[in-house]
Amino acid sequence: MKEKWSALMEKEGAKTVVASLLSILIGLLMGCIIVLIVGLTNPALGAGSVWDGIRLVLGGILSTGRDAVGKLTFGFNPTNVGNMLFRATPLILTGLSVAVAFKTGLFNIGAPGQYLMGTAATLIVALSIPTASVPAPIVWLLAFLAGILAGAAWGAIPGMVKALLNINEVLACIMTNWIAANLVTWVFADSIWCNMEENGKTGYIYKTAHNGVETAKWGLDAVFPGSQVNWGIIIAIVLAVVVYVFITKTTIGYELVSCGSNRHAARYAGINDKRNIVLSMAIAGGLSGAAASLYYLSGNTEFFWSTYQSLPAVGFNGIPVALLAASNPVAIIFTGCFMSMLNISGQQLTNLTGYNEYITDVIIAAIVYLSAFSLVIKMLLTGRKKRKTAASGLDSRPAQDGRTEKGGEGA
Amino acid sequence: MAAENVIEMLHITKEFPGIVANDDITLQLRRGEVHALLGENGAGKSTLMSVLFGLYQPEAGIIKKNGQEVRINNPNDATALGIGMVHQHFKLIDVFTVLDNIILGAETTKAGFLQKKEARAKVQALSERYGLKVDLDAKVEDITVGMQQRVEILKMLYRDNEILIFDEPTAVLTPQEIDELMATMKEFAKEGKSILFISHKLNEIMAVSDRVTVLRKGRYIGTVDTKDTDRQSLSNMMVGRSVQLEVQKAPAKPGEAVLSLRDFCVPSKAHKRNAVNGVSFDVRAGEILCIAGIDGNGQSELVYGLTGMEKSSGGTVTLCGEDISHASIRHRGRNMSHIPEDRHKHGLVLDFALEQNMVLQRYREKQFQTNGIINRGAIREYAQRLIRQYDVRSGQGPVTVARSMSGGNQQKAIIARELDREKPLVVAVQPTRGLDVGAIEYIHSQLVAERDKGRAVLLVSLELDEVMNLSDRILVMYEGEIVGEFDPKKTDIQELGLYMAGAKRMEKGGQSA
Repeated sequence: MKEKWSALMEKEGAKTVVASLLSILIGLLMGCIIVLIVGLTNPALGAGSVWDGIRLVLGGILSTGRDAVGKLTFGFNPTNVGNMLFRATPLILTGLSVAVAFKTGLFNIGAPGQYLMGTAATLIVALSIPTASVPAPIVWLLAFLAGILAGAAWGAIPGMVKALLNINEVLACIMTNWIAANLVTWVFADSIWCNMEENGKTGYIYKTAHNGVETAKWGLDAVFPGSQVNWGIIIAIVLAVVVYVFITKTTIGYELVSCGSNRHAARYAGINDKRNIVLSMAIAGGLSGAAASLYYLSGNTEFFWSTYQSLPAVGFNGIPVALLAASNPVAIIFTGCFMSMLNISGQQLTNLTGYNEYITDVIIAAIVYLSAFSLVIKMLLTGRKKRKTAASGLDSRPAQDGRTEKGGEGA
Repeated sequence: MAAENVIEMLHITKEFPGIVANDDITLQLRRGEVHALLGENGAGKSTLMSVLFGLYQPEAGIIKKNGQEVRINNPNDATALGIGMVHQHFKLIDVFTVLDNIILGAETTKAGFLQKKEARAKVQALSERYGLKVDLDAKVEDITVGMQQRVEILKMLYRDNEILIFDEPTAVLTPQEIDELMATMKEFAKEGKSILFISHKLNEIMAVSDRVTVLRKGRYIGTVDTKDTDRQSLSNMMVGRSVQLEVQKAPAKPGEAVLSLRDFCVPSKAHKRNAVNGVSFDVRAGEILCIAGIDGNGQSELVYGLTGMEKSSGGTVTLCGEDISHASIRHRGRNMSHIPEDRHKHGLVLDFALEQNMVLQRYREKQFQTNGIINRGAIREYAQRLIRQYDVRSGQGPVTVARSMSGGNQQKAIIARELDREKPLVVAVQPTRGLDVGAIEYIHSQLVAERDKGRAVLLVSLELDEVMNLSDRILVMYEGEIVGEFDPKKTDIQELGLYMAGAKRMEKGGQSA
């Protein structure tokens, strides 16, 4: 058993998984400690709330509220799970976006900008084509494609700047993020897409349901009653598998990864490294755009147009999602779900205990921070392994001092 | 033979996962001797030296200095014991001056301030005493490789090291500089310093060393007095079989020109002038044409320009009758295979499996993909065939990560990939750099076989032995221009050396016309 375990730990993949799980575990423990400290120092909370808080941090997804005597109850909560899947949809896609760029040796910190451009294109198409004359599913499809294309175009810009002018893509991405934030604000400000009807909602764009465009639920509403989940999550999972196949099994994927692993060798072999950088960033952008499309096409999500001062967090959260998954597209499905599960846990914490809602963001931030440590943890795992073999080598070395070995066994 | 042992490494064993790098190795270094450590790549020379230098801890065995057992846990311990090392790749800071580099880590200070005057005086004295000419105030990035090596040697002397390790010190030097280095090493030995000289160049070992210890595949083969042995028996000990030191080849039967360069120019990245300036020559089918020259005279740029990796700034390149002066790298690759100078930077994607590296240019061919989906099975089969045919050794066969392979086998993998593409022109740049005699013999025979199949071979080499041995025609390049053309049968290393150093030159087209 022990040998089997150590043989498994030899494998690079196993090390990655263990490192990610460890960083998640440490992150959750950090979250619990924060809950503990805040609970004990705040007289309004106290020890009872601490226990409730810790249980919610660890298992908020299974929380079913409080019973008659005020005790927390746990069990399968289809609404929570459904909402988790709904919120995981854009996270999976921005995670894929970051991962694809990583594979080509690029750091796509431009996912928020690509996400915003995707949002704008999707909403404009979904709200502008009258469903009276064009069938709603077609409008949905056009809006989805528009989101992908807008994101791809926005991602291609830093790619081109990098390929042609050799300007660092991180800088270019940060610039394009803010250009997107202001551009989107300018396009939507006082536009016909602003919801001026409902009181106090003048800052929001219409939900796409306003035009009868929304992602189908096709039975998912029966499985997860009361939640927002729709077929977007299925599309995200399919896209994750498609990206996996693309990267590992196609010639274009081979080119992208070659460029990412060794741009010089790729160039030597006749691979057009510049084209591949642009292509990789465009695909990354398209995935971020798709994230925005699927989120806003759900029909009942609202977009606040005045974004010029802040960038959507879901774009940045793609980075920890990709890091935790070590850029493996299939693993991203799970890390994306994990990140959105934290979100649900946080929501439960706010709803069911006296903890302030911002505490949950602190906990999520701690876990995200720890996710960047998964590489360090992986290195530590490798180091421990080495020392172990070194130590066992001392004991098991047979006495061979008498052996002589002189040259010329061939000749 | 009463000489005392300064350093004794007794029964050293060092294991890495899956490999025993040093298996019960004993090395005894006497005071005042030049002791050569000979072995193929992967024989465990570097591991043994890293153990001595405190970079690795051995699993078994002890190290003694002057008969006392010592523990060397890190390089600082080694320095304290008077052990110094010139690494194969110099450990110098490019933007520091020579003096700063020498005193770095051993600075004399007073109240926290550097006392450079004393240091300068000491370094100057050392430099004069041993004839190690350096410019103390020049920045390292501006001085020649030869001078950088002298800086490394002065670093060891400045620290009063008695045991000097030279890790393949001659790889980067010109013939004249090698002679100087040999003389310096002998001088050190005469003064009672002990020298460990790591090399696989048999000529140098025969010329400079007193004794030779031979390692093979991590094992100790034996220690012999240099005066009692010769090149052939040393190489047999090293490889474990009889090795052909001279290349066996029939006279060339050159045919039509496969590659023609006319007034070819490539701009330099370092300065405003052209790195390659108006070069014209032909490479004919069935001949090995060698470009000789000291490193940095435009040979690398010539190849970059020729293969399309750099843009040329003038002239024409004609390959198989087609003008490819402005063609893409991939387009040129249709008729050209290229064994690159830097196998880590260009030759391999080190994090890819061996099989993926084997199809670096060919993954788009029909046999390896269907509608853009890669055919893993076909690639594996192909890689297995190349591995068998070219005897590429690796831990896990086709799925071995290229990074984990030895340098010699990495190079064999590249050679296998390039030669198996069967192109009319083979461009080979320093194909045997850093390799051992076994691998060199193999690669040379492969290049001759290519020639005999009627392919044109353009060889760029800094090793004069290789140039003389392998080529059918030699062009000497100096400061971006061809300064002479020679028949290897009618010239010698001394004459080539004069042209390489720029002391002589032929008129353009003088001999070939």
